[in-house]
Amino acid sequence: MLKTLIRRELLDNLMTFRFAAVLLITLLLVVANTAVLIQDYEQRLESYNDAVKMHQQDLRNSKTYSTAHLFVDRAPNPLSIFNVGLDKRLGNLIGIYHGFMPTLWDAQMHGTDNPFIAFFSSIDIVFVFEVILSLMGLIFAYDAIAGERERGTLRLVLAQPIGRGQILLAKYISAMACLLVPLILSLLFALLLLTRSMPLSTADFLRIAGIVLTSFAYLSLFYLIGLLISVATRRTGTALMLAMFIWGLLILVYPNLIRATVNPGGDIQARVKTAHNQIQQILDEYERERQKFLEKEGIAEEMSEFSKALGFYHQADVDPVTLTTYIESISVLSEIRPDFEKYIPVAKRYYNFVEPLATRTVEKAWRIRKQALDEIYVKQATTDRILLKLSPVGIYDAATQAWAGTDLSGLRDFFDASRRYRKIIIDYLYAKDAFASREWFVADKGTVDWRTLPQFTFQRSDVGINAKRALPDLFLLLLINLIFFTIIFLIFVRSEV
Amino acid sequence: MWHIAKRELYDNLNSLRFALATVLLLALMLTNTVLYLREHPKRIQAYHNAASGAVKTLEGRSTSLYRLATEGPGDLHKAPSLLRFCAEGDEAFLPTHASGANFVRRIADRTPIWRMGYPQETPNLRNIRPDFATLDWAFIVGYVLSFIAILFTFDAISGELERGTLRLTLANAIPRHTVLMGKFLGVFISINIPFTIVVLMNLILISTSDAVQLNPEAWGRLGILYSVIILYICLFIALGLLISAAVRESGVSLVVLLLIWVSFVVFMPNTLASIGSRTLVPIAYEEFWTQRIRLADAARAAYRDKYGDSQITPSVHVLGEYVTTEAEEHERYNASYLKQQIEQGKRARAITRISPAAIVQRLFESFAGTGFERHLQFIENAQRYTREYREFVVDTDRADPESLHLIGIQEGMSQKPVNPEAIPKFKDTLSLSRDFDAVATDLLLLVLFLGVLVSGAYLAFVRLEI
Repeated sequence: MLKTLIRRELLDNLMTFRFAAVLLITLLLVVANTAVLIQDYEQRLESYNDAVKMHQQDLRNSKTYSTAHLFVDRAPNPLSIFNVGLDKRLGNLIGIYHGFMPTLWDAQMHGTDNPFIAFFSSIDIVFVFEVILSLMGLIFAYDAIAGERERGTLRLVLAQPIGRGQILLAKYISAMACLLVPLILSLLFALLLLTRSMPLSTADFLRIAGIVLTSFAYLSLFYLIGLLISVATRRTGTALMLAMFIWGLLILVYPNLIRATVNPGGDIQARVKTAHNQIQQILDEYERERQKFLEKEGIAEEMSEFSKALGFYHQADVDPVTLTTYIESISVLSEIRPDFEKYIPVAKRYYNFVEPLATRTVEKAWRIRKQALDEIYVKQATTDRILLKLSPVGIYDAATQAWAGTDLSGLRDFFDASRRYRKIIIDYLYAKDAFASREWFVADKGTVDWRTLPQFTFQRSDVGINAKRALPDLFLLLLINLIFFTIIFLIFVRSEV
Repeated sequence: MWHIAKRELYDNLNSLRFALATVLLLALMLTNTVLYLREHPKRIQAYHNAASGAVKTLEGRSTSLYRLATEGPGDLHKAPSLLRFCAEGDEAFLPTHASGANFVRRIADRTPIWRMGYPQETPNLRNIRPDFATLDWAFIVGYVLSFIAILFTFDAISGELERGTLRLTLANAIPRHTVLMGKFLGVFISINIPFTIVVLMNLILISTSDAVQLNPEAWGRLGILYSVIILYICLFIALGLLISAAVRESGVSLVVLLLIWVSFVVFMPNTLASIGSRTLVPIAYEEFWTQRIRLADAARAAYRDKYGDSQITPSVHVLGEYVTTEAEEHERYNASYLKQQIEQGKRARAITRISPAAIVQRLFESFAGTGFERHLQFIENAQRYTREYREFVVDTDRADPESLHLIGIQEGMSQKPVNPEAIPKFKDTLSLSRDFDAVATDLLLLVLFLGVLVSGAYLAFVRLEI
């Protein structure tokens, strides 16, 4: 019996104009946008490769350790085509040196970054699904029960020995089977385009499978929302209006209303200020120790001579907004005048003392900075995302970003890696005894050999980690699905035909 | 006709969709007001602080004409728009100032002359919050109101056709176009009632708040915006009637309308802009920067080849010419890069004009004084000021008979003190007539779209078999 019902429903759905229209428009939008996105990705990849090349060249051109230009670049994530998340927005280039802790707040951008086109966001596949699948689900569901009730066919069906639950189940299964056609077909087309132009690994396919699964749960939820409306209302006209306004509210309005609720108020500024002062104190302490060293060495008075001898440039500062802390001391000399040769031993001692001190100072400041950044910026972003999850769109978006690795955690992985790389570089400098070497500040007796420098590598997180980040949201979606189904069942069983 | 309009109106006023639309619009407009009143005073304050700081810096440089010639006017700040609640546009992505300053690289042991630069700010770079659409009038009208218009019209004709009431109406001696006009007016008024109420509420709250003073020009602009909104609503009502008459079945007409709406309003502006911007890609900012440094180095090397090392100064005349041309060349280079970027921005926008939603977004931005067109005006203002400032330095120098009139060379310029009051100050202004010029085509296009859709609806309805 269930089979007959499903077959009837399936035929009813498949033969309709709305099915054809929805299929066509989904295919069109997904394919067109995927083509645009692939081009966009290739352009980003090209500028990434250019940037890497340029930074390698820059490093080879650096003659001394202190003037080294060491930058690491973040490659564009190929899965950003599915959900771009923060992949395109946040910085993709960051400097690595011992007197500075790299975070995502300090990163810069390589590649084309024309501000006049930044307004137009490229539309990713998940966004197309967010809008289209939800509409589809509602359009297929709003008259599922209400329509049959109006036409009187529901009474006929119920006259047969079929449980009401079975009717619901039949409707659900057949509608989902129908709705999956545009979803799967458009994804297949997108994958066809993708695999032609970029190599995707097995892990990437697993991540994509995760995205498909989440899309399925999202679609099903909107179908169930429509079904609930259909069960609860007597007339299709009312059901349709309710469905459309709920769609407008959940997709268009609610996600943007959140902006008004979170007020970046005065206490944030106070918090930044406190952290700023604390870091400033650490920097002051660093400066005192530096001066103490200079006095001990007996060159405090000759400092101007000394710094001229080294072509010295020293700066220690903390940014009042992003709390970026850096201690830079660079010698911009390639050779030294003979009468300054007497300063060389002092300079070696100076750097050997000051640079490790700078490293420690920055690490000390980092502990304060990390806490402050987490409390100020990350907390706010997390609150936003939790509020967003009151709409299914928010959950869907978060889950697919996590699968694609373009969410905040995915991006932070890169900056964690850059901090680890900084540590490796510092260890390397210690191993080479670089701080105490002549090559630290002057290149007249041979330049630094950069060939043995450890290379930076960054692998996107393991697919297991993606899953770990995405599954809570996916389960939440499934749970809401289940709750909706139960509610619909309860209402339908009690309702009069 | 009025009778039909009235009947339609009463039908709508009592309907569920009317109530839902009112609630939705009310919530959106209230949020808009709250956001604007919360953020605008801060914006104004920040601008005033920055602008007065810039004036102070400039006046601090008035100790000598030489300083003015080499250090330049400092930062030129863009004035925030009063009507930002109407359209925020890409304001969040655009730089807030231009900078007239010199480059620290020394030329032939001389401080170089200042040049105009356009800093590349990407304020969104550190933003880890989720994406939000801007909740401005442009969003409320462009997305939500057009959506509501569709929901009000999809069954206007097909519904009556299905119920059979259309036959009854037409059985009376009423011409078809009168019926259509009546329907049009009925829907138009029933959408306008809630919208006008929430707009008035929005404006009353904003204009009575102490933080904001709307001047007569702003009211004029709001008037223009309101007529743009009327045009846009009419456009979607006409579209709804057209599809409703052409499709005959309300279920199908809704699906068709929704898909059209989704394609034109949600997807097209962004997708087309991405395609359009691909037709002209300027070099990356980093590369531009590197090339600029290379240019300066080349100029310096050419100078050294000609006149030897910097220690042996040939003559102040040669040097004077050198610093001037170097700065000019440099500035030309900056401007040409900026032009490329602007050109790309224009290409991206030009192609989106197929979508009425994108047109309305542009109109909103222009008349609200935000976004791309407004930024172009700011750049024009900055460039005009640059000329004024240069002329001021040259003229002041010329007025001094003792000077050698070598701009950019300390010993070649007038040594007299400069009156700080006399230095031209940057003033960022907006002209309504220029705004009109910039978007005249868009306005015409919108009217054209409307004309096509209205006649389409008329034809479809006249030929409708009942």
